[in-house]
Amino acid sequence: MFRKILIANRGEIALRILTACKELGIRTVAVYSEADRNALHVRFADEAICIGPPRSSESYLNIPQVISAAEIANVDAIHPGYGFLSENANFAEVCEASHITFIGPSPESIRLMGEKDKARVEMAAAGVPIIPGSPGVVPDEDAAKKIAEEIGYPLIIKAAEGGGGRGMRVVREKGELIPAFQTARNEAEQAFGSANVYIEKLIERPRHIEFQVLGDKHGSVIHLGERECSIQRRHQKVLEESPSPVLDARTRKRVGDQVVKALAKIGYSSAGTVEFLREESGKLYFIEMNARIQVEHPVTEMVTGVDLVKSQIRVAAGEMLADVVGSVEFRGHAIECRINAEDPETFTPSAGRITAFRVPGGPGIRVDTAAYSDAVIPPYYDSLIAKIIAHGHDRAEAIARMQGALGGFVVEGVKTTIPLHKRILADPDFIAGNFDTHFLDRSPALAAK
Amino acid sequence: MDKHGLEEFEYERDGLRIRLKKASAHSQGAVRVFPAPEIVVPGASPASHASASAHAPSAAREASSDPGRSEDLHVVKSPIVGTYYASATPGGEPFVAVGAHVESGQVLCIIEAMKLMNEIEADVAGEVVRIFVENGQPVEYGEPLFGIHPHRKK
Repeated sequence: MFRKILIANRGEIALRILTACKELGIRTVAVYSEADRNALHVRFADEAICIGPPRSSESYLNIPQVISAAEIANVDAIHPGYGFLSENANFAEVCEASHITFIGPSPESIRLMGEKDKARVEMAAAGVPIIPGSPGVVPDEDAAKKIAEEIGYPLIIKAAEGGGGRGMRVVREKGELIPAFQTARNEAEQAFGSANVYIEKLIERPRHIEFQVLGDKHGSVIHLGERECSIQRRHQKVLEESPSPVLDARTRKRVGDQVVKALAKIGYSSAGTVEFLREESGKLYFIEMNARIQVEHPVTEMVTGVDLVKSQIRVAAGEMLADVVGSVEFRGHAIECRINAEDPETFTPSAGRITAFRVPGGPGIRVDTAAYSDAVIPPYYDSLIAKIIAHGHDRAEAIARMQGALGGFVVEGVKTTIPLHKRILADPDFIAGNFDTHFLDRSPALAAK
Repeated sequence: MDKHGLEEFEYERDGLRIRLKKASAHSQGAVRVFPAPEIVVPGASPASHASASAHAPSAAREASSDPGRSEDLHVVKSPIVGTYYASATPGGEPFVAVGAHVESGQVLCIIEAMKLMNEIEADVAGEVVRIFVENGQPVEYGEPLFGIHPHRKK
């Protein structure tokens, strides 16, 4: 097992990793920017090293600074958390070259999953259903026309290296195809430095369902069920739950087995998430894989009892999955609400000093946060200040517990998305499990009352 | 070790590895990254190494406010995380000593980061009145290295 781990992150995930390390008896090294001098991850780690100015490109994303800190602190491993350097294959390689274990998948796996068209081809080859579309990058207009004829309309054009909706175009009829293809290529070129785009069938009223996976360094892979993350705002997840209200046991087993087989084939190790879109007919299609621990991992932890972060550390140290996890049983239902320091009406970030902070508790409630009364939310990083996770024996109990927790969560000094979550949890369609990824964008009254 | 100014001693035989590391004891209270001395034996319980270490951030704050007491002291801070070396070669003549007069652009020390030697230059001309770090000591970003009393502009 590792002796000392450097945590290359901040906020609640840095604390989450700290907790896992402490339980495993591993010493911890925090790194921080000048804006995070008073942050809790700095206070609770065994050692802390300032690695740069507030801007993340000069601190948390600065590979030489992070590696130098790891070297002077003499750590055996680095946990990247999520965001920042977590899916940077180059960083994982530099760790390897510096004889420091990167707690995550291999650089090859990260690189493969980072190139979405290649990931799709690989997953399809292993039997995972993918959205009907071009087998890879669509090189020119003739190829675009040919593909469009094969898969039919509506369809969507997406940037190969993209994300967050940029370089995306929906095409509903033949006449729109060529102008949309040109626009998408231009946008992709500007936003991502590559004009590569692919084309696929448009899934209307899709639900976002993802499978949590865990692999070891000995070729074993398991899945830990799914999470439903359809409550999104502009492609940003807002609320997640497990299990999905619409996935039946047979589909769960079939798709879960396909995912496990595909990842065992590429030798995937560590935690990861395989994302699907579910069309109204109930069919699931692979969209992409995230090669990291995710923000919403606690909902899976609550229903499986598996500590994903500790598991990541243990498999990175070479332990066998069979010893780390054993057999998995699914218990009850869990929901996570992401509480952001944002105006709940306009969604503009609300940085500043928290003047009062009271965290809810009670049966089945877990709160992951690095905020505290008198903490300053710096404007440089993402606006997540807390995650509330409610677990109940069924979905109705989890919803009731979450409603109670939201009511008992007091944050003053900055604006938060707590009121938005209260409205979602009270919405009849949400309670009935009747929603898709456009739920919030379609209900402006709900998103911004 | 002290006599030879060694920071590290490593001994390996039959799978047993012993590493000794001298703490960079530092009167200014800057970051103490290593608890010391430390003996690492593979297979031993990690908990046995869980000795307390100095709490970095508050210590770093004290260090940075300390030089501020002297009115027109110009503090040269480390622009990177790494290991501080006072001289170009081990055991060599230090670049500067307290009392030395330096020109702007003159090399004051080396910070080693990722096997690269980075020369740190003075950004003002003046007299070196304080050196806040010791040879071989790990330094963090923004850590005070030198206090320079600038020459008055004529």
